[in-house]
Amino acid sequence: MDFLKTISVAAAGLKAQSGRMRVIAENIANANSTAATPGGDPYRRKIPTFVNSFDRELQAHVVKLGRVRADEGAFRTRFDPNHPAADEKGEVNLPNVNSLVEQMDMREAQRSYEANLNLVTATRRMISRTIEILRA
Amino acid sequence: MSAAGLPLIEMLKTRMHWHQARQKVLAENVANADTPAFKPNDVAAPSFGPGGRPVGGSLAVMRTNAAHLTAQTGRPGFDERAASRFEVRPSGNAVNLEEEMLKVAQNQSDYQLAASLYQKSMQMLRTAIGRR
Repeated sequence: MDFLKTISVAAAGLKAQSGRMRVIAENIANANSTAATPGGDPYRRKIPTFVNSFDRELQAHVVKLGRVRADEGAFRTRFDPNHPAADEKGEVNLPNVNSLVEQMDMREAQRSYEANLNLVTATRRMISRTIEILRA
Repeated sequence: MSAAGLPLIEMLKTRMHWHQARQKVLAENVANADTPAFKPNDVAAPSFGPGGRPVGGSLAVMRTNAAHLTAQTGRPGFDERAASRFEVRPSGNAVNLEEEMLKVAQNQSDYQLAASLYQKSMQMLRTAIGRR
């Protein structure tokens, strides 16, 4: 039945978006995680990727969470000579996480999640309307 | 003549199948709303033949050998095509979430309309044979 396939496709979208949300949560939680050794690298921002794959069983293009990649951007630095991770110049490397960017990503993930959820609700209503034909 | 062969019933059936196929395609679009380089699809409205059955659309590939893989692209009779797009994001994704949600809502209410009409015509037939 096509309706059940529809719900499966939307469920794949839900799963991908919640996986993205998890990566964003990791980034936000580690926004201040510095290294423990002098001059070491702090937490590196992670970027979730989406891939579109054709599901042979559903005969549909579903979305999947691809490999989580590292953001190769430069780290922020702060002058703090007493910090355990400070290098010889007294600068500490801070993660390349921008909380504003993460907030925007989070909003987008939330919006996409809600859209998929609405699709499930709409499809369920259509199924129950079909069943109502029998009841009349 | 059976009730299933009546042109009106057959047309409503075609219409409901089309809404089902369209709902699936819309779900694909929404699920891939953040996939790079994804372009949204839509299903063309069915054109009815004399008996209320759909004409035209994509053709199913014939399997002449048991070892052949099925390459079914959508339901036969419905033409899956690229949807109109007016914004393409830098990632190459052309899905507009608002538009897709609008289509989903429209598809749902149109389906309910078709289902109600189906139910009403069945009731009409029941009245004709003198049962309530």
